[in-house]
Amino acid sequence: MKLHHTLAIGALFCAAVVTAALAQQQVNSGEMANSLAAVSGNNRLAMTGVQMRQAVLDYIRDNPGALPPRPMSFPQLEGLTQFVVEVEFDFNSAVIKPSSYRTVGAIADALHHPLLLGYGFLVIGHTDSVGGRQYNVGLSQRRADAIREALIDPFGINPAVLETVGMGEEQLRDPAHPTSGVNRRVQLVNVGKKFCFGRSGEQFLCQ
Amino acid sequence: MKRTSFGLALLILIAGLGAASAQTMSYAEAISQIATVCKNDIARYCKGVPLGPRLRACFDANAARMSPQCQQTTGVVYASITRRATAQRDIGDICSADILTLCGTSFADANLVTCMAGLAPQAMSPRCYQTFVDTGWATEKARP
Repeated sequence: MKLHHTLAIGALFCAAVVTAALAQQQVNSGEMANSLAAVSGNNRLAMTGVQMRQAVLDYIRDNPGALPPRPMSFPQLEGLTQFVVEVEFDFNSAVIKPSSYRTVGAIADALHHPLLLGYGFLVIGHTDSVGGRQYNVGLSQRRADAIREALIDPFGINPAVLETVGMGEEQLRDPAHPTSGVNRRVQLVNVGKKFCFGRSGEQFLCQ
Repeated sequence: MKRTSFGLALLILIAGLGAASAQTMSYAEAISQIATVCKNDIARYCKGVPLGPRLRACFDANAARMSPQCQQTTGVVYASITRRATAQRDIGDICSADILTLCGTSFADANLVTCMAGLAPQAMSPRCYQTFVDTGWATEKARP
């Protein structure tokens, strides 16, 4: 059972982890856009959202127990730019609280920033350890999907640039305190350039 | 009843006209106006409805019984969000000739926004200029 469930979107810039915003602070979309801007145009995630979801389920199957024995590693995400903010949800549900509407709007502002034109993003949901591991994977997936749904409509993000993954409690940020709120977060990850632009402004899939 | 809805339609029309020349709001600012002004209406009529198309549909379905402030705010806010999103989506097409002539480049990256932000409004075609204003990018800090 989740008491109050907060997803956060975590900011790592290269290797350095920068927690940019606490729940009560207002998220700065310009800062978010700068953190998410690609360090090099060639960095690209070499797996799909579907493959990542399967990898999480495989990890739980291969590493059973009440808690994950160690945080699941995703070396594929290294070198990709990322960002963290917190989004609050209703109890045990994927409905975003009105107090977090602004944060979702700020994510939309950042993803629409000219710096990030044509890039693809992964929305990764994380929970704390309260509740079963499988259940938490599902809950964080539904929450990541809820953020994606709002980013698409009304905020006009191209659905083709947004994928979601529910990581559940498999990557606790503070394994020593598995029920702590710092574990509840959503990561936004820049997975690389997806759309390129022609001379007359038309979009096409990059090579 | 009929007069009220006419008055309301007029109000929305005026708000819409005002918005046509003004800047669009950032998405964060826009949606937080709804969260603030419509807090009670959401709790009463749209509790548990997810932010996204379903929340908007809930506002539409309950328009008649929502507070006038919330009703007006949702009208203005969704109009602003839609205008900004449409401009951000279509600017590459609408401004392609201007971009090629004035910036000597194609629609590609933040450098372009820096170029466009530095142009005199009269230099661009009116439609391109209005679209650029609507994107909100002129006020964003673009970095090469």
